[in-house]
Amino acid sequence: MTGAELVIKLLTEHGVESIFGYPGGAIMPIYDALYQSPVKHYLCRHEQGGAFSAIGFARASGKTGVCMATSGPGATNLITSLADALLDSVPVVAITGQVSQAVAGTDAFQEVDVLGLSLTVTKHSFLVKNVNDLADTLRQAFVLAQSGRPGPVLVDIPKDVQLAQVEYVVPRSLAAVETSQAAMPLQQLQLARELIASAKKPIAYIGGGVHMAGALTELNDFLQTTGMPSVTTLKAMGSVDKSNPYYLSMLGMHGTQAANIAVQQTDLLICLGARFDDRVTGNLQKFAPEAKVIHIDIDPAELNKLRRADCAMLGDLRALLPQMAVATNCADWQQYCLNLKLQHGWRYDHPGERIYAPLLLKQLSERMPDNSVVSCDVGQHQMWVAQHMSFNTPRNHLSSGGLGTMGFGLPAAIGAKISRPNDTSIVVSGDGSFMMNVQELATIKRFRLPVKIVVIDNQRLGMVKQWQQLFFNGRYSETDLSDNPDFVSLAAAFAIPGHSISRKDEVADALDAMFTWPGPYLLHVRIDETDNVWPLVPPGAANHDMMTDLPQWED
Amino acid sequence: MSTNSMSTQHTLTIQTGLEVVAVERLLQVTRYRGFQLCGLEMKPMADNNGLLVTLNILSDKPISLLTAQLNKLYDVQHLELHAPAAAVLRA
Ligand SMILES: Cc1ncc(C[n+]2csc(CCOP(=O)(O)OP(=O)(O)O)c2C)c(N)n1
Ligand SMILES: [Mg+2]
Repeated sequence: MTGAELVIKLLTEHGVESIFGYPGGAIMPIYDALYQSPVKHYLCRHEQGGAFSAIGFARASGKTGVCMATSGPGATNLITSLADALLDSVPVVAITGQVSQAVAGTDAFQEVDVLGLSLTVTKHSFLVKNVNDLADTLRQAFVLAQSGRPGPVLVDIPKDVQLAQVEYVVPRSLAAVETSQAAMPLQQLQLARELIASAKKPIAYIGGGVHMAGALTELNDFLQTTGMPSVTTLKAMGSVDKSNPYYLSMLGMHGTQAANIAVQQTDLLICLGARFDDRVTGNLQKFAPEAKVIHIDIDPAELNKLRRADCAMLGDLRALLPQMAVATNCADWQQYCLNLKLQHGWRYDHPGERIYAPLLLKQLSERMPDNSVVSCDVGQHQMWVAQHMSFNTPRNHLSSGGLGTMGFGLPAAIGAKISRPNDTSIVVSGDGSFMMNVQELATIKRFRLPVKIVVIDNQRLGMVKQWQQLFFNGRYSETDLSDNPDFVSLAAAFAIPGHSISRKDEVADALDAMFTWPGPYLLHVRIDETDNVWPLVPPGAANHDMMTDLPQWED
Repeated sequence: MSTNSMSTQHTLTIQTGLEVVAVERLLQVTRYRGFQLCGLEMKPMADNNGLLVTLNILSDKPISLLTAQLNKLYDVQHLELHAPAAAVLRA
């Protein structure tokens, strides 16, 4: 067979049924091998969209997402999405065609140093120079993408390698090396148990690493046994059982007041698969100032990177958490945290007729079918989704966390729908973000994907506008989008029906109509451009110094 | 950049892949993580199965922040940190 046919063979060997991509000259042999193959290719309309769909596919399912692009502009279009996958630890394998080695290094047509470009946005990348290395390289790529801390891996394949003849050989077992268990850190575990047992105000700070380790059951058992309150990062929303009374929701820049106040007062912070990101900690020097820290992660480079841990453990949370589940003595603290929650609950009694996005998203959350996957874009609407919607697993909340990439939502929702065809896929986008990968409406049309699209339209780059209002003296430089297209007509051009609403009393019926319609649907929601996201920890401040400038109806 | 802080010089010896890109990765990580390179030597390993790279690093941050990142590189087979040389003052 040819190298190109081997690529497809290797995809089937790894159980890959769906891939996302866009063809071009240097990857034509692979597209030829794909023709009438069992692997289903979803033609996206921009390589960035294809790679975001691969990310959505991976995040919603836990499987590895696969995307493909041609050399030069095809490969450069992948870069943003690879960076997104790197910062959010998403297992993706990207396959790029490259110019033939005979002309490599001559500035050939559509030649770009893809290996060089990939260095800073992938977990690892390969350039395959010999067709005899192709199979093992692809196998390594799949192992690497999923092992340890997952991430994107790129395999660049010159056209001559795709065309060369090679034999398919059944794999030697490669994955075995990776699954070897690390020894239990017995001393550290003992220290952790002592710290937990003696803490008066412990709190668990839960990151995306917990669900990626498949440790949600162990986490909830741990929280139940210890009774300690907990907070989550953006990426871990949905990790804690809804019935847990001591769960204080998201911490950080737009976290809840209860979460931030409690973390600032804790005497023991147990950081599980999280990384003290600046959007979480606010001013790092002032973050959880009284706390001793237990930090567990699968990535050794995260331990002691930003905050020194009193007890650091490298390893598998599934194995370690049960070893730390000891009883605590923190009834007063539990009560205090319950009170914080009561005192600082969300308010939805917004006056007037106009739609209040937090309330709309709460209604969406209540009305969406069980186990719906919600993808979102980046900006104010993204924070409102995290604050006001509720998820029963992080796999149902796809948000670009580390990179904060506008344009993520629509293609991610496509990938989610393809990986979980029986679940509803919803994207909540902003009027700015939606336009960044709007071409993917064509992908929805072509494959008749029943993705539900909610565009929250404030006619602004709202999050930037909010910062201009608060920190740049109201100088609204380039954030006005009042000449937005007519979103419903735009959807109609892709045979997607839609409806536009601007009043509260229209919301319930509009949501019902969207969910009742069997196919894709766009709901355009006009909101007031002055609405802002609260609370907010201003730049440089400690997390307890939140601005809670309450909505306009408060005096 | 000039600072008056005390910097320490560290020597790392690293066994890595034979490809040029393996060395690029070492340098990229060193630069991105904010460490200063003040010496670089490399030669093929005895069995010609990789490169032996010696990096001299000047740093006012814990060197573990760099070694932890370098150790994650897929093509790094072995990394050794040698005892620091005398502290130097960076002018
Ligand atoms: C690709 C990209 N470019 C720029 C930004 C900076 N940015 C963050 S939020 C935002 C505004 C987003 O506007 P919109 O999608 O309408 O959301 P809103 O904040 O109005 O809800 C911008 C420009 C970004 N995150 N990503
Ligand atoms: Mg907007």
